[in-house]
Amino acid sequence: MDSGRIRFFLSEVWRNFTRNLVMQLTAIGTVTVTILLLGSFLFTRQTLGAIGDDVIHKIEISVFLTDSATPAQAQALVATLSRDPRVKSVVYVPKAEGLQQMRERLRGQIDTSLLTSNPLPDALRVRVVDPERVQNVAEFARKQPNVANVEYAQDAIVKLLRISDVLGRIGLGIVALLVFTAAIIISNTIRLTVFARRREIAIMQLVGASGFYIRMPFICEGLVDGVLGAALALALLAVAKFELLPKVTLALPFLPMHAATINAWAFAGELLGVGAAVGIVSSWFSVGRYLRT
Amino acid sequence: MITLRGVTLVYPNGTRALDAIDLEIAKGSFVFFVGHSGTGKSSLLRLLYREQVPSRGEVTVDGVRVDNLRRSRIPNLRRNVGVVFQDFKLLSDKTVWENVAFALQVTGARTKDVMRQVPRVLDLVGLAHKSRMFPSELSGGEQQRTAIARALVNNPRILLCDEPTGNLDPSNTNEIMDLLHRINLKGTTVLIATHNALVVDRMRRRVIRLEDGKIVADEERGYYNAAAGIAVGASDDVAAFPLVRSRGNGLGTNPLLSE
Repeated sequence: MDSGRIRFFLSEVWRNFTRNLVMQLTAIGTVTVTILLLGSFLFTRQTLGAIGDDVIHKIEISVFLTDSATPAQAQALVATLSRDPRVKSVVYVPKAEGLQQMRERLRGQIDTSLLTSNPLPDALRVRVVDPERVQNVAEFARKQPNVANVEYAQDAIVKLLRISDVLGRIGLGIVALLVFTAAIIISNTIRLTVFARRREIAIMQLVGASGFYIRMPFICEGLVDGVLGAALALALLAVAKFELLPKVTLALPFLPMHAATINAWAFAGELLGVGAAVGIVSSWFSVGRYLRT
Repeated sequence: MITLRGVTLVYPNGTRALDAIDLEIAKGSFVFFVGHSGTGKSSLLRLLYREQVPSRGEVTVDGVRVDNLRRSRIPNLRRNVGVVFQDFKLLSDKTVWENVAFALQVTGARTKDVMRQVPRVLDLVGLAHKSRMFPSELSGGEQQRTAIARALVNNPRILLCDEPTGNLDPSNTNEIMDLLHRINLKGTTVLIATHNALVVDRMRRRVIRLEDGKIVADEERGYYNAAAGIAVGASDDVAAFPLVRSRGNGLGTNPLLSE
């Protein structure tokens, strides 16, 4: 490829692209919306997943001791539980410390100074190695002496995960539909260009241009549509991430936004890849259909 | 160079365009296909560059069987066969130079070759000085010369012309026929489908006459309609077309062509 050939090729692509600008903008816009939704969907799913993981791994079993339990008995229980291989850690929280922690957690929400006596029992916070074994460990703890009650939040977590799974499936369906729509619109755009350039194509075929050479400018046109649309969507997503997300995070402090867990470059690359693939595949089909006849 | 054996072409609508054609054309020939519209002249030419596939029979062009040519081999055949049409088929948004260069560029030719070949063929057809003009700024004859330059830029061994002068006035027609003759002298096999009797009679070359898809006459140094002796000579056109007068004395030569 010498520079003259590259110039000729690029001018052909440019000619295609500018032949029907309105249609190109439609195609690009469709890709933008598609990638925008795909991006937000993937981001949301990842965040929900991260929250779910986070919560699961933070699952604690609260073991509340009877009021009559002495510190020595509490320590004995700590030792018993610590010896269990399913248990990751056991922390003894005497009632005074528990109250202190609660005061800190609820600072500004509830006036804890109203509490004149300590309503909390002594407690053990038990973490497990495998979140799936929470129930077993909880039952084991309940059977120990001096244990008044055992609490853990497994049901809520299971429900949360199930909801995020269902939402994920719905989102995936919507995105699949949108990708399909974008493909059809790009394919129609390319077909219009092919139609507008049918004389050129006829002459190319007449003078012995290879099928590949005839197709290439159209494939590139689809590629440009896909990539430009995806790039536009990425720009909007970037605005959302860097401008909107901090505000959302501020407004909803209890929702851990694990934006940092997403590799922004890889994510952008994937979305651009989807846009490019949609563009290439759909234009390939629309040119192919024309050239075969 | 070109061989047809038992070639029959039936269109999907049942029209029998060509009927058991046997034909042999030698390298470097200059051949006219004549006959009324719809007698299969164009269909025959289309077989040669694989625009059409015969229903039966064999077509060989330059040693290559084209009737069963693989799709991927068609571009190769077409680089070896230039085609010129009645309606020129130029791209109106490209200049003369670009129209001609296009034929090379889309075959992936190197820029170096484009820069060498395009001026060469433009010079050959006498349009070097108009290379920056657009087709709409040219006369019909100049447009056809551009189309011929485009057909020749790949250095094809065969040039097919389907009614090349159909849209041209007599003086432009002359110009184009002279050019085709010169191209032939350089060794290119030239095949022309036409129903322009004046052109055929003036050149006195091989004439193959088609009727209803069959070859009804094939003469070296033939006339458009030798058998009828025809009224062409009596037509007023002849006066405006002095070169054909030589038909009467049997020389049939064109002073412009004997350079």
